[in-house]
Amino acid sequence: MISPHPVRIVVDDDLKRSRLTVFFRLFLAIPHYIWLALWSLLMFFVTIVNWFATLIVGRLPKGLHNLTAAYIRYITQLFAYLSLAANPYPMFTGTDRYPVDVEIDDPASQRRLITLFRLPLAIPALTFAAVFLASYAGGSYSSGQGEDSYSAGATTSSVGILWTVALFAWFACLALGRMPMGFRNLQAFGLRYGAQAWAYILLLTDRYPNLDPADPPSTGPLHPVGLAVTDDLRRSRLTVFFRLLLTLPHFVWLILWGLAAFLAGVAGWLAAIVLGRLPRPLHRFLAAYLRYSTHVFSFLFLTANPFPGFTGTPGRYPVDPELPEPEKQNRLKTLFRIFLAIPALAVSSSLYTLSFIAAFFGWFVALALGRMPRSFREAQAYALRYGVQTNAYFWLLTGRYPYSGPSLGQPEPEPEPELTPAELPA
Amino acid sequence: MAVWLVAAYLLWPTDVPDDLKLPSVDETQIFDPDLLDETQDFERFLRWNDIASSLVLLAVLALFAWRGWRFARESAAGRIGTGMLLGMIGLALVWIAQLPFAIAGIWWQKRYDLVTAGYLEWALENWLVLGAQFLFICLWLLITMALAAPLRDRWWLGAVPVFAGLALLLAFLTPYLVPDQHDADPALAADAKRIARETGQEGVDFKVQEIGDLTEAPNAFAAGIGPSRRVVLWDTMLEPPFDRDEVRVVIAHEYGHHESEHIWKGLAWYALISLPLLWLVARVARRWGGLYQPRAVPVALFVLVAASLVVQPFNNVITRRMEMEADWVALETTEDPAAARELFEEFADTALQDPDPPEWAHVWFDTHPSIVDRIAEANAWERLRDADQSR
Repeated sequence: MISPHPVRIVVDDDLKRSRLTVFFRLFLAIPHYIWLALWSLLMFFVTIVNWFATLIVGRLPKGLHNLTAAYIRYITQLFAYLSLAANPYPMFTGTDRYPVDVEIDDPASQRRLITLFRLPLAIPALTFAAVFLASYAGGSYSSGQGEDSYSAGATTSSVGILWTVALFAWFACLALGRMPMGFRNLQAFGLRYGAQAWAYILLLTDRYPNLDPADPPSTGPLHPVGLAVTDDLRRSRLTVFFRLLLTLPHFVWLILWGLAAFLAGVAGWLAAIVLGRLPRPLHRFLAAYLRYSTHVFSFLFLTANPFPGFTGTPGRYPVDPELPEPEKQNRLKTLFRIFLAIPALAVSSSLYTLSFIAAFFGWFVALALGRMPRSFREAQAYALRYGVQTNAYFWLLTGRYPYSGPSLGQPEPEPEPELTPAELPA
Repeated sequence: MAVWLVAAYLLWPTDVPDDLKLPSVDETQIFDPDLLDETQDFERFLRWNDIASSLVLLAVLALFAWRGWRFARESAAGRIGTGMLLGMIGLALVWIAQLPFAIAGIWWQKRYDLVTAGYLEWALENWLVLGAQFLFICLWLLITMALAAPLRDRWWLGAVPVFAGLALLLAFLTPYLVPDQHDADPALAADAKRIARETGQEGVDFKVQEIGDLTEAPNAFAAGIGPSRRVVLWDTMLEPPFDRDEVRVVIAHEYGHHESEHIWKGLAWYALISLPLLWLVARVARRWGGLYQPRAVPVALFVLVAASLVVQPFNNVITRRMEMEADWVALETTEDPAAARELFEEFADTALQDPDPPEWAHVWFDTHPSIVDRIAEANAWERLRDADQSR
C-alpha cells in the first residue's frame, strides 16, 4: 500500500465564474506578478538554505517548511486564478481555503542521498511541470540575410497545457459564466503535478511527483468513446531500444491509410450533413483507421508493448479504443464540425506533448527496468483517450464532444435503486 | 535450369577480346615501397575486420534462427506483421553485433584520413541506414509472405519477378535519390558531352556530387535506366592529384557502363541469382511451416544472408567483368592509356587500394579488378593499338 502523496490538490470549486473578472483576469493579477517575483527571489535563497538544512538535519525545519509550503500554495492558487481553474481573487499569503488549494503534510524525514542529487533528479519532473505550466520556453528566430532578411516571427515557444486550456476556457467562461468541468479537472491535474514538482525541487518532500492522472481517482461523465487498457507494464528491452525504427513500416502504412481516410472523411462529412448520420461503411473504415493510429502511437510512445497489427482490428491490442456504433448526429454541428473541434484538437495536441515526454523518459526507464512506470502509462493512456475522443468527434464517429477531465471515462456511480419491501430478501 | 544456363551464357560475354592476355605488371616497379606497405596495412585490417564482422553476422543470425521466433510473443499483429517484426528484430540484433566492427572500420579509415565525417554524423547516418533496412526487410517479407498464402512453398516463383520489378523501379529512381548533385563547370561538361557522343550515349546526363565533406575517397558511378540514365562524378575527383585527362578516363568508364548496358545486365543477373537463392530459402523454410508462417522468418533470414555470402565471390566475378569492360570502353574512347595508368596508380595513393591484393581476398571482396590488372589492361590495349598501327 502506497501512502498518499504529501502534497495533494483539493478542489472545492462550483465552476461558476464572474464574466467581468474573467475578461480582465490577466490585468487584475498584476499586483500578484510583482509579489510573485519578489517572493520567488526570496525562495531562491531559501531553497539553498533548505538544501543544506535537509542534508544536515535529514528533514526540513518547521519554519522553512511552512514558508516553502506557503509559497507553493500561493503559486498554485495564483496559477489556478490565472488559468480560470478558480474564480476568487487569491490572497497574497498562500493561506489555505482557496477553491483550488494544496494540502501539504507536516515535515517528514528525507533521504540525504536523494537530497544531495535533488537537482538532476528533478529534471524529468521539471520537464513534465513545464509541459503543464510553461507559458514560454525558447526564443524566436528569423531567416535570411542582409537587406533581404525578414523576421518570420515564428517562435520556439511552447505553451503549457494549462494555458492552452485557459485560452479556450476564457471564451467559454465569458459565454456561459461557467467553467467546463473537464477543463477545470484537467487544470487541477496540471496544478497538482506542478505543486508536487515544486515541493520536490524546493525540498519540501523527497517523494517524487506523481504523473498518474487518477491519483486521487476521479469520476467523469459517461462518454461513448473510451479506451480499454489491458497492458501489464512489462516491456521488451530490445523492442524498446529500436522502437522508433520498428514503427517505420507503420508510419508508411499510416500515411497511405491517412490519405484514404481523409477522402473518406470528406465523403462522410457530406453524407452526414445530408443523412444526419455517418454511413455505416464509412464509419467502419474511419473507426478502423482511428483504432489503428491509436495502436501505432501506443506502440511508439511505449504505452503498450506488442508490435501492432496493420488492420486496426478491435480487441487485438492492449490499448484499444472503444468506439460507438453509427448514431444520429445534429446536422448543424456536423456542418461546423471542423471549427467546433479546434479547442479539442488544441488540447489534444498539448496532451500528446505530455505523452511524448513520458515516452522520452519512459524509454530510459523501460530500458533499465524492462517495465514502464505505471504513472507514465496512465498519463499516456489519458492523453490517448482524449485524443481518441477528439478524433472520433472530428471524424464524425460520434457527436459527443470530448471530455478532457482525467477520469478515463469512468461514469459517475449511479445510486442503487431502493428496494421495495416486497423485494427485500427474506 | 537449362533456361537459367542459357540466360547466364547470353549475359556473360563482354567487349573485352576473349583472347586478351594481360601482360605481367610488377607492382614494385610502379609504386613506392612505402606506399605499397601502407596500402597493404590499410586493406589488411579492413579485410579481417570484414571477415570477423561476417562471422559474427552469421553467428547472430544462426542464434536468431534457433531462438528468434520467441520474439513473436512481442507482437499483436497478424502473421505478416509478426513476420515483419521478427525480420526487423533480426536486423536489429545484427546491427548491435556488427556495431563494434563498423566503428573499428570507420576509426581505421579516419586514421588514414579517408573519412572526414565525424563519429556523430556517421552514427546518425548508420541509424538512418538501419531504418532503411527495416523498411526493406518489411517490404521483402510483405511480398514473400503475401505470395506464400496462395502459392505456399512456390512463393519464390512469384517473388523473383516482383523483386526484379522493384529492382527495376529502384534502378530507375536512383539518380533522382542521390543528394547534392549539380551541373559540372562548362569545361568539364563539354568533356562529358564529347565522351557521351563518342560512346553513343548523348541522352545520358552528367552531374557532379558534392561529397567532399564526408570523404576524401575518389569515385564516380553510372545510374539509371532509360530516361533517368546519368553519370555522377564525386567532387573529390576534381581535386589534385587527378588531372583533366584522368577525369576524362573516369567519365568514359562510367559512360562505358551505360554503353555496355551494365545496369540492365546487372538487373538480369540479380533476377537470375535470386531464383536459386529464394528457392533455397523456400526449401529450408519448409521445415518450419514455410514462409507462410512467421515462425519461419528467422530461419529464412539466416539462409538468405548465408547464401548471399556464399554467392558473393560469383557476384564479384560478374561485377569485375563489367568493370573490365567499362575500362576497355574508356580506353577505346579516350585512346589515352597513359592517363588511365596514371589514374589507377593514383587510386592506390588516394584511396589506399592495395594494387595487388592476395588472391583469396580479391576473390572474396573485390568488386573491381585490382589496380595491377587495370594497369595491365591499359598496357594490353596499348599493345593492340600499336600492333594495329604497325600493320
